Amino acid sequence: MKKEILAILTVIVLLCSCTQSSDDVVGSYEAIPLVVNKPSNFPDIVYNLDNNQVTEAGFELGKKLFYEGKLSANNAIPCAFCHEQAFAFTHHEHTVSHGLNGGVGKRNAPPMQNLAYQSEFMWDGAATHLDLLSIIPITSEVEMGETLSNVLSKLKADPYYQTQFEKAFKNGAINSENMLKALSQFMVMMVSSNSKYDKYVRQEGNVSFSKKERDGLDTFKNKCASCHATDLFTDQTYRNTGLPINPRLNDKGRFVIFENSDDLYKFKVPSLRNIEKSKPYMHDGRLSSLEAVLNFYDNGMVENGGLVDPIFKKEDGSLGISLTPYEKESIIAFLKTLTDNEFLTDDRFAEF
Amino acid sequence: MKFIKFTFALLSCAIITSCSTDDDNSSENLTGQTGNVVIKFDNGVGDQDFVFGTSYNKSNEESFKLNNLKYIISNIRFKDNEGNTFLYPIEKNVFIVSEDEGNNAGEILLTLEDVNAANYTEVTFGIGIDQERFSKGADGQGDFLAKAQDAGMMWSWASGYKFIRFDGAFSTNTITDEGLNLHMGSVGTSLDNYKETTLSLPNSILVRADKNPEIHIKADIMKVFDGVESVNFADGYDQVHVDAVETPIIATNVAAMFSVHHVHND
Repeated sequence: MKKEILAILTVIVLLCSCTQSSDDVVGSYEAIPLVVNKPSNFPDIVYNLDNNQVTEAGFELGKKLFYEGKLSANNAIPCAFCHEQAFAFTHHEHTVSHGLNGGVGKRNAPPMQNLAYQSEFMWDGAATHLDLLSIIPITSEVEMGETLSNVLSKLKADPYYQTQFEKAFKNGAINSENMLKALSQFMVMMVSSNSKYDKYVRQEGNVSFSKKERDGLDTFKNKCASCHATDLFTDQTYRNTGLPINPRLNDKGRFVIFENSDDLYKFKVPSLRNIEKSKPYMHDGRLSSLEAVLNFYDNGMVENGGLVDPIFKKEDGSLGISLTPYEKESIIAFLKTLTDNEFLTDDRFAEF
Repeated sequence: MKFIKFTFALLSCAIITSCSTDDDNSSENLTGQTGNVVIKFDNGVGDQDFVFGTSYNKSNEESFKLNNLKYIISNIRFKDNEGNTFLYPIEKNVFIVSEDEGNNAGEILLTLEDVNAANYTEVTFGIGIDQERFSKGADGQGDFLAKAQDAGMMWSWASGYKFIRFDGAFSTNTITDEGLNLHMGSVGTSLDNYKETTLSLPNSILVRADKNPEIHIKADIMKVFDGVESVNFADGYDQVHVDAVETPIIATNVAAMFSVHHVHND
């Protein structure tokens, strides 16, 4: 008797749920997978792609969101406002950026590339997951000044998003999870790995370095690569590089994350990919040329009140990395081999 | 969906009825049966009910009053009289307990649906967001990120949750009504302040399709300051955010502030 009722119950429940799911989804979910590029000279991908399989529809949705003004309070400031593709997704010629109602931030918009290979984001490591990274600029009062729930209401009212979320996600929901996952799908696909340097180290297509570029690479390996490590050109640590404090900003860097005095004025070691295009430089964009950056490391470092990284201590106790004029010139020649024009002009990432 | 639940409930009743006619009452078959459990969170201060704006005295001649009181509860699970554990489905298993959403009795109700029928003797829950959930990013979070942000339970300067949030004012014997802000959470992966608490139930809750048992949990807010360890506003505990020394002490105190007052089985 019991078994029969259970069997009937199961059948009824199954029937009901079948009817329901076909009503909800309308069969528009399109799981056409996209593959995240894993160049042979790169370390392993950090982002867990199993939890957020990149699909054509999800990537398209993420791209649309990246260029979507509705993510901001005045509907006019998309992510791309400060992250322009031609400049390695930085805010061209802006030391720090301006956002909602003329609000001005404290830091230089970082380039966006190879994000699937990084575990922490922002100059101070404020975001520890790529999915959660976008929440910071969306909600920052001086950037996009919006709340997640307002963004979601705006998206829910837009027919494009009603359709595209259904194509991109099995449950089709326009919610914070799916919105952030779509943005991540767009971002993990942004791999920059086809610069002259990449082709040189992977020995592709007879690419060769000039003598100056080779000398620059050698000097770079000796004097810079302990921090700008691996072919991501960052060891992803936070360091105080002895930059004088700008009293107007008084940016304490990673200190704000843990309020630990050892972290005063520490900032994340940035990648150097596409560095030629992403000026101005340093966390606050104070240096506008690569020459100025190398001159700073050669003779501009100061004790700034925090713990300047001991790696910069010379034998005589002074701070800096001694560089001859030719070393600077050749390092810059080498750095320009990190420009990846395929990435900077890739239609997949372009707004139009 | 309502129709399914109704059918389910109806048929479950039929099963129970048929069970009781076919079998002996003592060997009630609960397989496949589920019911709801309501957990009531009731914030108090010692033997007083908590009321916004009321000043409460703590140790060291200090006092505090609050205008905002919220915490995140997650990973609720029950242990039954045979030692089996039922974990509420992880995607739904995260709640914001907000004093301003309390009923007239100051109780905040969480309703857990479709809990496996059993006689439960113990409840365990976490305060905040554990590392495993946080490490998934947006995955499995549904709309919780947006909800938490609306409730002011996310940091603005970094990605992460505030596990507990007190805003108000404090006084000491030299200071009157200065800002009190306790926004304790984990910071990334390196500072983990997620803690769990396990409470035995004074008598079992009987989860059945036709019963909605309630667990009434008291949270003694005083224990956040005068708990496992006593802390003083004068020593910097008026502003608790991400400090690696202060936050674990507060987290430990918070985890120990809960007790089960009583349960209902009707």
